[in-house]
Amino acid sequence: MTVTALVLGPILAGFLLYAVPRDRARVATVLAALVAALTFVLAIADAHAADASLRWLSRPFAASFHLGLGPISYWLVLLLSLATFGGALALSGPRARNVAAQLLILQGAMNGVFLAKDVLLFALFWDLMLIPVFLVLIEAGPHARSAWKYLIYNLAGGLALLLATAAFGVVAGTTDLIGNPNAHVVIGATWGGWIFAGFALAFLIKTPVFPFHTWMPDTYADLPSSAVAVVSAVQSKAGLYGFLAIALPFLGEQMLQARTLMFVLGTIALVYGALAALAERDAKRVVAYSSLSHLGLILIAIFSGSPLALQGAVVYIVAHGLFSAALFLTLGAVEQREETRDLTRLGGLGVRNPKLAGALMLGALAALGLPGLAGFSGEILILTGIFENGFVWPAIVTLIAIVLASAYMLRLFQGIMNGPELPDLPERRDMTWIEGLAIAPLVAGFVLLGLNPAPVITSHATITAAENTRVVGSR
Amino acid sequence: MLLYLLWLLPLFGGVLLWAFGPQLKSWAGPIGAALIGVAFVATVVLWNDATAPGGLHAGLVTWLPGWSFGLQLDRLSLIWSLIITGVGFLIHVYSIGYMDGDRAFARFFAYMNFFVFAMMTLVLSDNVIGLLVGWGLVGLASYFLIGFWFEKPSAVAAARKAFVMNVVGDVGIMFAVFMIVARIQSIGYADIFAHFQQAFSPTALFLVCLGLFIGCAAKSAQIPLHTWLPDAMEGPTPVSALIHAATMVTAGVYLIARFAPLWSASADARELVGAIGGLTAIAGAILGCAQWDIKRILAYSTMSQIGYMIMGVGIGAYDAGVFHFFTHAFFKAQLFLAAGIVIHALADEQDVRRMGGLWKQMPFAFVAMLVGVLAISGVPGLSGFFSKDAVIYGALESGHPWLYAVGLVTAGITAYYMFRLLFVTFFGAYRGNVDQSDLGIRHPELAGTAASTGHRSDEEEPHHHAPAWLMSVPVGILIVPTIAIGWLDAWPGAPWRQFFAGFFPRVNEAAVAAPFSETISTVLVFVVVVAGFAIAYVRYGAPAALRDAIARLRTETVRMPAVLVNAYYFDAAYDALLVRPARVLGGWFDRFVDPHVIDAGVREVAITSQWLGHLFRSFQTGLVRAYALSIAFGVLCIVAYYAYAFAFTGSGR
Repeated sequence: MTVTALVLGPILAGFLLYAVPRDRARVATVLAALVAALTFVLAIADAHAADASLRWLSRPFAASFHLGLGPISYWLVLLLSLATFGGALALSGPRARNVAAQLLILQGAMNGVFLAKDVLLFALFWDLMLIPVFLVLIEAGPHARSAWKYLIYNLAGGLALLLATAAFGVVAGTTDLIGNPNAHVVIGATWGGWIFAGFALAFLIKTPVFPFHTWMPDTYADLPSSAVAVVSAVQSKAGLYGFLAIALPFLGEQMLQARTLMFVLGTIALVYGALAALAERDAKRVVAYSSLSHLGLILIAIFSGSPLALQGAVVYIVAHGLFSAALFLTLGAVEQREETRDLTRLGGLGVRNPKLAGALMLGALAALGLPGLAGFSGEILILTGIFENGFVWPAIVTLIAIVLASAYMLRLFQGIMNGPELPDLPERRDMTWIEGLAIAPLVAGFVLLGLNPAPVITSHATITAAENTRVVGSR
Repeated sequence: MLLYLLWLLPLFGGVLLWAFGPQLKSWAGPIGAALIGVAFVATVVLWNDATAPGGLHAGLVTWLPGWSFGLQLDRLSLIWSLIITGVGFLIHVYSIGYMDGDRAFARFFAYMNFFVFAMMTLVLSDNVIGLLVGWGLVGLASYFLIGFWFEKPSAVAAARKAFVMNVVGDVGIMFAVFMIVARIQSIGYADIFAHFQQAFSPTALFLVCLGLFIGCAAKSAQIPLHTWLPDAMEGPTPVSALIHAATMVTAGVYLIARFAPLWSASADARELVGAIGGLTAIAGAILGCAQWDIKRILAYSTMSQIGYMIMGVGIGAYDAGVFHFFTHAFFKAQLFLAAGIVIHALADEQDVRRMGGLWKQMPFAFVAMLVGVLAISGVPGLSGFFSKDAVIYGALESGHPWLYAVGLVTAGITAYYMFRLLFVTFFGAYRGNVDQSDLGIRHPELAGTAASTGHRSDEEEPHHHAPAWLMSVPVGILIVPTIAIGWLDAWPGAPWRQFFAGFFPRVNEAAVAAPFSETISTVLVFVVVVAGFAIAYVRYGAPAALRDAIARLRTETVRMPAVLVNAYYFDAAYDALLVRPARVLGGWFDRFVDPHVIDAGVREVAITSQWLGHLFRSFQTGLVRAYALSIAFGVLCIVAYYAYAFAFTGSGR
């Protein structure tokens, strides 16, 4: 019941939101935030909710409408509701109602991706979650081009995912397998490579990982900040979640074969993203490229086969979600005030907007991996894990990327907030309490997770250990 | 309980002052200072617990098995805590006067309290990741305070530079953490010291020490990671005194002393660290001779003195190195605070060429500065004499005659540039009204002249209403230890040596017979110091030099060797080799590779396949909802197909 409500509730609420008159935007956004808050409370209150399962088809393979809260998906659902809450609250302007509605539909669809315990269902929700983002891009974004770029890239991935799912189902006999500890499915060498390639393509495009990333800076720059907070915080994690939930348990052999390639791609993404972020002038694109860099590290962690690194990967997935959502919401507040995101045109806002500066500082610090905040706890676990498993060079390259991260994040913060006040920028009032309310839960999240990531670690320790024995065992 | 309080009180202060600064107004300063004072009292109360065998422990959180975090107060962290809270308290009081009228008065004290919290985290942690957290947070506090006047571009750039270079150090420590956890499966000091000998080969041990030392070098401004420290003088002067002289920059000394068992077991690490320390000591001292900004002179002197400390702990003379930290904290804080009085009185003038003859107007600052200069130069009887002598002689005892020679020469140079500072600032005639070009100042904005500092206040006029005792009393209190504290370590069996007796592991090597006794060494050092003083006197202090001081200063400015003006070109080299290539490469990725290589490649694929091309063209109807509908329709078709196909062909097998 709970799990079904988590998926269908927001979608339904999203459609209902269209009933609110267009000009009562504040009502719509507050309602949307309430729905998101409700999903948060629901997930916490019923953390051990029973699965909902409905047999759907039996041939050519068995598939069910099977939803359930797994140990990793639990945290992603919480993260998603926080991001949606913040995103909805921070909305304003003439299109606020429509974007809020789409945010809720997006939340439901993504909850479906994370709660799906059936690979086919996962794939269907995967495609479904493209639509709200595409609609928001078309409706509220300045360039239709980036909407199409987003759609074509991600549909290509979705197609690969669907084909791979079909093949997987035929070979395994059933797709109702995610998070099933009793599933002993071994995909043979004949099909395994192709199936893995299909999944991997979809996941790599979605994350995204170099060289499939070029849709991302455009999308992130053109989406309203509220939507990009959700997309970058959570949608980008769908691919990584896919690797953890589908590839790791069932395609361990293939993951091992692909390890070198993934390490290379992840490492390139790490450095490439960091360097591009160092040179980029558009504030949102700086954070977009920083995501490319950070998510490359998680990819390396997932393919390292180290239990410590896998635990770190989940911590870092949640951490990255929290701080990237906070960063995008803050940047949205800046853009709304100053009507530009160009770092060469901004400057000196900290004098009159100390609260806004504080929020941006916190987000930037978490992103650059300040020890004591969540970005650090994820990084140190991952790096220690991959180093322990003997992968010295990825660890050292990451250390360089961490230094670069401090450079580009401070460049971002200082470019906007520090320096002399610029006379040609409009002077607007400091952060409102509602904007503060949107960001506060995210900040609280990455502070707490930085102090003690143990809840996120222990809740899935058994799973990762079990999955890991397969990967390591098949070595 | 008290240990938690000691640790969290400054954090409480930082958050309180940050959140309620506007409401607290001028109360922010006294509140911030009082909290640090309470923390000092708490540290003193904990003395007995800390000096008991094993020290005092308190648990915090556990992330994973082996990843347990806790606090620990033992003799080494006790010494640091006393300095952090004690000297910290005095500097807080001083700051109430110095920062009075600044429009971000409360924010200043919030950052200062936060710094104390971060530094306490660093020294109280009982594990290497807790230390790393403290290490990162002090770097952040330092960043905040260097860039305190953040409307000033040079302060902003200096803050960023300091932070990024310190992240290089953090990353070094992270590397050491990888090595430690991979082999020992624990982050706690106790486990590390119990198992490192079985766990590490000599090479691995050296790599761990190297990683830790990269952290030290960045934080403690050792070559080649020192270039941020002179720039850090952009921060308000009390910040320079507390963070960039007395406490934070000596964290590297703490780290090596804390990991003394590892250093004692790795001869290679000792050689490397001793050599870098010695190199930094002499290189920093030489640069100190070439500066005109009073704070930059002191900054290079700090760099040089930390070089001494690092040399001491690096070669295994741990208690000598730590003792030099202890005395340096007093006399360097005093030097900075005295310099602050001068800067404050001259409305933010920092260029010593534009000072001169100040002893008449500011006798108190003069006396304070004089005592500090005597102490740092190593005049017998004052604090610096004992600690510096111990380090220098330690080099000889441990079989490093070259380091001994370096230490000796550096002592002479130190006396030279410190007396140069004293003579130029306080003797002769006042030159503040002399035209800048007559003094050879070509780029005032680079020289720390008043025009370039960012002290912003609400009033138009320079403010003078804070009682003067707020600034002079802390300096007066510091004079006492600056003179006398050295006697703690004056003879065999002195209190300091008893305090650390058996605390540090001995270096596992046969002691080298020193070629001559400590007394002879002391005389030798003294002779060199007198020589340094004499040269400074002839060049800057003698009546002849004072008479045509303006011409001499101009000549010296104009003829200053470029290699010294550019501080050995470290900054230029980093800029050319690292910063600019990274920018160019990043710009190339961002503006060329992404749009014109990767995207173009994808476009080629799309266009060459005619079918796709036609498809897209026919779909581009321009109707947004049509697009959306087509996607939804596609998804529905898939669902419907399965539902239809299997609902009617019979479910189940």
